Amino acid sequence: MDPKLIDDCVHCGFCLPTCPTYVLWGEEMDSPRGRIHLMRQHVEGTPVTPEMAGHFDACLGCMACVTACPSGVRYDRLIEETRAVVEREHRRPLAERAFRALVFATFPRPRLLRALRGPLRLYQASGLAPLVRRALPGPLAAMEALAPELTARVRLPRLVRARGPRRAVVGLLTGCVQGEFFPQVNSATARVLALEGCDVVIPRGQSCCGALSLHAGRPEQARRLARRVIRTFERAGVDTIVVNAAGCGSAMKDYADVLADDPAWSARAAALSAKVRDLAEFLAELGPAAPRHPLEITVAYHDACHLAHAQGVRAQPRALLSAIPGLTVVEVPDSAICCGSAGTYNLFQPGAARDLGDRKAANVLATGADLLVSANPGCTVQITSALARRGREIAVAHTAQLLDASLRARPARALLRGGRP
Amino acid sequence: MDGGATGPAGGHGDVGAALRAACADVRPAGEGDAVSGVAASWVVTPRSAEEAAAVMRASARHDLAVVPTGAGTKLDWGAPPNRLDVILRTSGLTGDVEHAPGDLVARVPAGMALSDLAGVLAEHGQQLVLDDPTGSATVGGALATATAGPRRLLYGTARDLLIGITVVRPDGAITRSGGKVVKNVAGYDLGKLYTGSYGTLGLIVDATFRLHPLPAARAFVTAVYAGAEEAARAAHQVAGSQAVASAVEVERTGPGAPVSVAVLLEGVPEGVAARSQAVRRILGYDSQVAADPPVWWGRLPSLDGGVLVEVTFPLSALGRVLAAIDEAAGRAGARPAVRGSGAGALCLGLLPDVEPSVPAEFVPLLRAELGPLGGHVVVRRAPDPVRPRLDLWGPVAALPLMRRVKERFDPGYRVSPGRFAGGI
Amino acid sequence: MRALAERFREILGDDGVITDPVRLRTYECDGLTVHRATPGIVVLPGTAEQIAEIVRECNAARTPYIARGSGTGLSGGALPRADGVLIVTSRMRRIIEIDVANQRAVVEPGVTNLAISQAARPHGYYYAPDPSSQQICSIGGNVAENSGGAHCLKYGFTVNHVLACEIVTPDGEITWLGGGDPGYDLLGAFIGSEGTLGIATKVVVRLTRTPEAVLTLLAAFDGIERGGRAVSAIIGAGIVPAAIEMMDALAIEAAEAAVGCGYPEGAGAVLIVELDGPEAEVRHQFERVETICAEAGAFELRVARDDAERAAVWTGRKSAFAAVGRISPAYIVQDGVVPRTALPEVLAAIDALSADYGIRVANVFHAGDGNLHPLVLFDDAVPGEGTRAEEVSGRILDLCVEHGGSITGEHGVGVDKSRYMTKMFGDDDLDTMQLLRCAFDPMNLCNPGKVFPTPRLCGEAPGVRRGVHPLVASGEAELF
Repeated sequence: MDPKLIDDCVHCGFCLPTCPTYVLWGEEMDSPRGRIHLMRQHVEGTPVTPEMAGHFDACLGCMACVTACPSGVRYDRLIEETRAVVEREHRRPLAERAFRALVFATFPRPRLLRALRGPLRLYQASGLAPLVRRALPGPLAAMEALAPELTARVRLPRLVRARGPRRAVVGLLTGCVQGEFFPQVNSATARVLALEGCDVVIPRGQSCCGALSLHAGRPEQARRLARRVIRTFERAGVDTIVVNAAGCGSAMKDYADVLADDPAWSARAAALSAKVRDLAEFLAELGPAAPRHPLEITVAYHDACHLAHAQGVRAQPRALLSAIPGLTVVEVPDSAICCGSAGTYNLFQPGAARDLGDRKAANVLATGADLLVSANPGCTVQITSALARRGREIAVAHTAQLLDASLRARPARALLRGGRP
Repeated sequence: MDGGATGPAGGHGDVGAALRAACADVRPAGEGDAVSGVAASWVVTPRSAEEAAAVMRASARHDLAVVPTGAGTKLDWGAPPNRLDVILRTSGLTGDVEHAPGDLVARVPAGMALSDLAGVLAEHGQQLVLDDPTGSATVGGALATATAGPRRLLYGTARDLLIGITVVRPDGAITRSGGKVVKNVAGYDLGKLYTGSYGTLGLIVDATFRLHPLPAARAFVTAVYAGAEEAARAAHQVAGSQAVASAVEVERTGPGAPVSVAVLLEGVPEGVAARSQAVRRILGYDSQVAADPPVWWGRLPSLDGGVLVEVTFPLSALGRVLAAIDEAAGRAGARPAVRGSGAGALCLGLLPDVEPSVPAEFVPLLRAELGPLGGHVVVRRAPDPVRPRLDLWGPVAALPLMRRVKERFDPGYRVSPGRFAGGI
Repeated sequence: MRALAERFREILGDDGVITDPVRLRTYECDGLTVHRATPGIVVLPGTAEQIAEIVRECNAARTPYIARGSGTGLSGGALPRADGVLIVTSRMRRIIEIDVANQRAVVEPGVTNLAISQAARPHGYYYAPDPSSQQICSIGGNVAENSGGAHCLKYGFTVNHVLACEIVTPDGEITWLGGGDPGYDLLGAFIGSEGTLGIATKVVVRLTRTPEAVLTLLAAFDGIERGGRAVSAIIGAGIVPAAIEMMDALAIEAAEAAVGCGYPEGAGAVLIVELDGPEAEVRHQFERVETICAEAGAFELRVARDDAERAAVWTGRKSAFAAVGRISPAYIVQDGVVPRTALPEVLAAIDALSADYGIRVANVFHAGDGNLHPLVLFDDAVPGEGTRAEEVSGRILDLCVEHGGSITGEHGVGVDKSRYMTKMFGDDDLDTMQLLRCAFDPMNLCNPGKVFPTPRLCGEAPGVRRGVHPLVASGEAELF
């Protein structure tokens, strides 16, 4: 915890109303301002107490406070450093340790995730879900409840050629959760990029980008994964790396910081970070070329924290969507407040995550929209499960899927079918 | 307390000497020197805050009860003092207005008439937006009774315009609160406390107000409705419209009579013209636009000496309040004239020669009707024969706290004692 | 303290009482960090009844208590005490009613200022006072401080927009103030009493119609002087804008660094003038304002025509305080008032002070009402600079008082400025204020040590007194 970064906080409190845990509990120590105060206490010599660790753990890392802060406090860096300190200095209870180990062993490994798919599909078909949910211990039940329904796997080619004149050569990150659980988003992304005149390179053997580890205070694991991603995309020889999952994009843009202290890698990391663009960000920069066909639909746009707050990408997806003829974008009330997914948060802090999911679900329903646009797989899972708890459904799609439908003149109802992406 | 210094009968000489030592203008009270029928012994007219302070100190020493008065337009308002020795006239507390036109503020002596002040401020194109329903009130008197007129709708009342005040405390200390700048949160805002305190906390000697520019143009849009409900709906709609009326007033000469609605618009000529038309669209095609107010505008509905009742209520209740007034009046056999504001305050007037039993019945009935609507009924003035039969104030939620305030400021209950709610 | 905490747990449950030292310390200061004290206990009540019970327990234990909302105050008004209880209203944030027909809303004290406007906006209304911290400051805190904001030039302060309050008195009773009740205007006196007369538990606010038209002008000048001339001319023309705000070169630099507000390059001062009201009025007056600014020497005029453009103009101004952190390691936000006409003179004197002391001062102010917010910049790593900055800051207040102004326009006196009260008020004035305090809080346990220079206890208090008062014991107070 860099004392200089801590000193930047002037204690004005502008971050409080944007902080999901402050919104839930109204307690100073569960606000960014309070957590920075706790960091200061630690820097000044107070050891990490279980209470302190609890308040750091309760932070979703949504970075809404970074957006709100007029003093430019780098809370993102602070909480990352702090989580590493907590992992180092704080000894968690055994059960908690075991569960964390399980999550961090599984999620960053696409192959392991893939292995889980078979049993999950069987299980979802079996009707055992409610029974099992009751039998599982808290955190595992959380994991179980969040597991998305699965569609058939899609295998993307290594290269998708541009339609019409080539305007760019881009790499596509497939992501672990996105790739395994929402493969249709990746195919839509590749098609949209191709239709907009991009050669899309999809390197094989992509590892996890390291976002989950980075945001959970496991910098070593994060660095290892980052190096692999860098290597993979260096070999791909692309100008731009397009990412369609907010959390991954945010982490990859941070590689320069993550590997800043590694002389062999810092320059390579910085070069890679500079090439990373969120899909919406990239398409906005590129400008539209392909004709849009009408989609008569009203959509609510959900701001994923790692897109809106961590990457500052708010206007671009709204502009892309609004440019589709016939489509109306409506805002979700309190859109800046996290849905509670937050990477692994809904696994480790199921109670708070659930409360936040419920709030988000209510706000989403209040829009009366036909469909929710969500550009992050974690958010999609979180919001649909919160809606399911209320016995409600809303179709969810990624920005890429709407653009895909519009570019290919597919009817809007194709997106609404089944209430699932 | 030094013995027998309480009235002309005992120790007259001591008291007179003490008062004369304090103030140059002291005379024994004459025939008409009374407050609501309670006779005074002395009338003093200090020429400065210091003289006034000396009078208050002398009164404290001799345990004299003091009632301040300005132009006397509202001296018969509220309850009579439960004792009275000295009438303190503020007519000597006049002099120059400290007008800072560039700052839109003015410090005004308490004895100055509001109408005179208006003349001074108008020289620089400014005004104190405090309508005087009596026509001849002083600044101090208007503050002490917190009177307000039509333009309260847009500008608020005296409390909203007062930014500083000098008050002589019952023990004779000259004290200030607030200041000369519009924006100021240093210390307690005691000006709020003195405003509407009926002189029970001390003597106001000067006040500083925030001012407004005189508008370049104004217009009155008026309409007459056969039914109260219809009139109330129109008034409420104007008050919530984008016309930003300075005032929305209603008038009714008695139960069942037609109700007039008049709207004041102030601003630049182009704006006022456009807004007048917008208001006409709400009030209906029979409405008229005029440059001057209707004759009843901003005046109390009761002749001198009549019963005057003030009713306050939430904005949207106007129609129901008018109906409730009719209902109570019908049952009590009263014929109240009604004037007042779409801002949720009406004045009702009964003729001075009304049979005392009529208001005695009317006021409790009205309170019963208005309670459920969130309304309050206060009898501002009642003639001597009527007053003892009325609860002037009705229920006051924070009365215990108010009593404690009085006890701290005036532990001897010597300044305007008993004039205010709950015997304060 | 331990016994008290146990009682509080019975009242509030474990979840509502904080006693862990690490957690307590996060409440050690509000928005003004130079004053710090770790509270003895923090409680997070949910209802007025709970607060009343807590206050009664505190009275029984003769323990001071302090109310706090969002903790954004800038005068240390909610500074806790080690021997006291901090009552935090951040969980009381229900908007109970938006009553459009009566143009009012009923809210709990922890509701943020902005949340009221957001709830009213769909109905065509908003809550007019808009302190810069409006997205987070609580309405309870606004009531305590009588908060203003940029638009109070036309619309007034909290006291002009609060119709009634339910409060817990220092006796631990629940009562209503205002709301059309006859009698003393206790509501008016309560608002702005900085939490020393009780704790607001429900607030009824007036809602104001969203104006038909709002026009915002950003005028750039080479310096403060010409900007000031424009302000005088606007007021002189009989125009009452909704807001007139000015920032000097240093403040502009900070805001650019923080939020990239894109104010005209090379501006030595910018003026933000906002007019609102009926379309026909505003259009006409706005043209005059533009002419006046041009005549006063504005080298660029920018008109914000919609909400997005307006937000862009305001972003720089609203973030200015915190933004100064970008150009200086440390700074003091001052809050003083001068008669508007004295602004040029006082600003020149501040310049001179700044040069004398070698301390930079950035100026942000509500030019329409003479409310200055000098930001005194310093580097706390440089020995002595903090002290010099403190001195400059204090001298600025002297200037305000000398020119007939006030030591605070909206941040309050709190603990930070209590020592300056004697510059504005004499002993008799302060004693009179004390009378009011004693009427409400004879035991002097409700946020003691704030506002007044020497806290004095209420002699001959009607309440029963037992033992030595903690303030007398600690030498902080004398008997009154």
